[in-house]
Amino acid sequence: MKPRVLVAMSGGVDSSVAAALLREQDYDVVGVAMRLAPEPTTPIVKRRGTCCSHDDFEDARRVAEQMDFPFYVIDLRADFAARVVDNFVSEYLGGRTPNPCVMCNREIKFDRLRSRARALKADYIATGHYARIEQGADGRFHLLRAADDTKDQSYFLFTLGQDELSRTIFPLGAMTKTEVRARARALGLATADKPESQEICFVPDRDYASFVERRSDPAQLRPGSIVDTDGKRLADHAGVHRFTVGQRRGLGIPGGERLYVREIRPESGEIVAGRREDLESAGLVANQVSLVDDSIATCGQLSVEVKIRYRHRALPATMRVDSARRAEIRFASSGPAVTPGQACVFYRGDEVLGGGFIERAIAREQAI
Amino acid sequence: MPIYLDNNAGAPLRVEAVAAISRLLAAGAGNPSSVHRAGQRSRRMLEAARAQVASLVGASARQLLFTSGGTESNNLAIFGALTAASRRRKIISSAIEHSSILAPLAELERRGFNLVRVAPDSDGRIDPARVQAALDSETALVTLGLANSEVGTIQDVAPLGFKCRKAGALLHVDAAQAVGRIPVDVAALRCDLMTLSGHKLGAPAGIGALYVRDFTNFAPTVFGGPHESGMRAGTPNLLGAVAFGAAAEAAMNAMEAESARISSLADSLLARLREAIPGLRLNGPTVGRLPNTLNLTFPGVLGESMLIALDLEGVEVSMGSACAAGAVEPSHVLRAMGRSVADASSSLRISLGWSNSAEDIDAVAAIIPAVWRRVADAEPLAEVSAR
Repeated sequence: MKPRVLVAMSGGVDSSVAAALLREQDYDVVGVAMRLAPEPTTPIVKRRGTCCSHDDFEDARRVAEQMDFPFYVIDLRADFAARVVDNFVSEYLGGRTPNPCVMCNREIKFDRLRSRARALKADYIATGHYARIEQGADGRFHLLRAADDTKDQSYFLFTLGQDELSRTIFPLGAMTKTEVRARARALGLATADKPESQEICFVPDRDYASFVERRSDPAQLRPGSIVDTDGKRLADHAGVHRFTVGQRRGLGIPGGERLYVREIRPESGEIVAGRREDLESAGLVANQVSLVDDSIATCGQLSVEVKIRYRHRALPATMRVDSARRAEIRFASSGPAVTPGQACVFYRGDEVLGGGFIERAIAREQAI
Repeated sequence: MPIYLDNNAGAPLRVEAVAAISRLLAAGAGNPSSVHRAGQRSRRMLEAARAQVASLVGASARQLLFTSGGTESNNLAIFGALTAASRRRKIISSAIEHSSILAPLAELERRGFNLVRVAPDSDGRIDPARVQAALDSETALVTLGLANSEVGTIQDVAPLGFKCRKAGALLHVDAAQAVGRIPVDVAALRCDLMTLSGHKLGAPAGIGALYVRDFTNFAPTVFGGPHESGMRAGTPNLLGAVAFGAAAEAAMNAMEAESARISSLADSLLARLREAIPGLRLNGPTVGRLPNTLNLTFPGVLGESMLIALDLEGVEVSMGSACAAGAVEPSHVLRAMGRSVADASSSLRISLGWSNSAEDIDAVAAIIPAVWRRVADAEPLAEVSAR
């Protein structure tokens, strides 16, 4: 019997091509579009598309019809709200800058969707992520950067362990975006020339602060002062959720030298602003650390490269993981602004060793 | 071959309907309104079909308008009745109607009509006494489904016909799910308007009919040519009509034997599922239900997951009303019957039809419990976030 693969389809070109490639490779492809974001606020008559969906699902459906495999829309809104959106809001309220795509992968695609895959007797799940999975001679699975360095999404996938990797296929891992588009055009897929989506799917207007405010009790917001590194008050602000460590714009401080958010103190509501060089750090502490292969946790101190934001270059560092799934990272040379809440991913060359969520920076010349 | 158990969404074409379509395609169809002989031939076929459909519900052929289907019939009935009853502003219906009733009524509510939605009991029955209690000299229209599409509950509409007539209100019965499955007679129900749908009884989708007892109580709402006695403009769908006529006649001839057979298949399936699935619950009454309809709450699983898993195993069922575009909302019918959102989300509708064999049911009686166990094991409700 052909292996069955559940392909998560967003209606974009990447997942469309992923599904089409698997279909061509003679997998028993089952396409699913996940309904995740809360209801659009516009009334039905103002929306294009058909009765209870949006256009992206229709694009995915067209690909399924064209490539002749079954396709279903599945409703994971409640799970998404509880496990991704609520976390996004509470992280911002706590003065951190969350990465909902990492959470969505961990909680939805590689947890809820995997349960669904088992319920549907699927052997694998597949997505249009740009990352590679390889199995070593010893049977262990390795998560690797994509061949297309500009599209590499391995950063978002660090939570995958051996079990997940053994049941996951990333059909685009070895392809460049240009090749994917060319393939989509060659197959005549309706999604071939769709633009990239950039924004966080549930905050399409990118106004995260307003979103957080809409989703919280006003009493949960933490307004306060912006202070300089000596504690001098520079301005007031409407809530710590409006700030991200490393951010320059929106501080509302006229004149003077360029100031950046250096630290967010959610308890007092203080935003500490500093000069660019004040932001530099010696390392960081990460929590909820997961490792692609747990056996490396016993190795003591490891030399790795760490990526502390999706678009940052990986920096040489040493790391040590403790039994409470916390990791201490020391940069080989002084590092850039460290943003609590963001994912910190450990690489060795092209391989993802694991990652965690940034708890705090380790300041220069400060012992842990 | 998949096993089709979604007859309330639409029945497979009956062989008689296919034969009628083939005959028409071979003979060539004209416009029944044309003067020439091709038109005359077409008109003869259209009227023969009309008589076939009318006799299924004990109506006279001239009381029957062909429409594009149940939704149009429901809209024509509601707007047609209200246009004719110019003064009265009250409408009585129920909370468990099909969307083609609920949506026009919601529109009328927006336009200022007073709408009473009678709630059902926990088996989906509408108490005629509660409808009667709402009935007054302001009431223009009472509109009720004869058999509920989701749970199959058959309503006791007959006592209302007389009361409505006495109160000067019109009674519209949406019989789309009932005709062809149980005996339906317009005179016995004393209704003024009745909706019939072709594809529920083995004709193709795109053809339906509206019974109008007395055209003095009805006004057209689609304007154009003088088709259908000037009451529903537009060249009739002859191909659909001949198929509808043939399917209606076949359904009528087979009804007694077919409903006994389907009833025993459904009962046997329910008994076997109950044995294999502890906690399985039938939604709807044991007696007074369409013989083909089983709406079941499967404990501990998401209906959505079961529905997809069953489809991949070749068993075609549904969850509430069909919406191809995706994610299904919890059934408004089950919610109105007092089921929780969680229970409604764990429910599936299995609806049998003329094409199902005993072998189908044997196969399904084994597949459904196996799928339920797998889904409950792989994706237990406890893991799913509260909805």
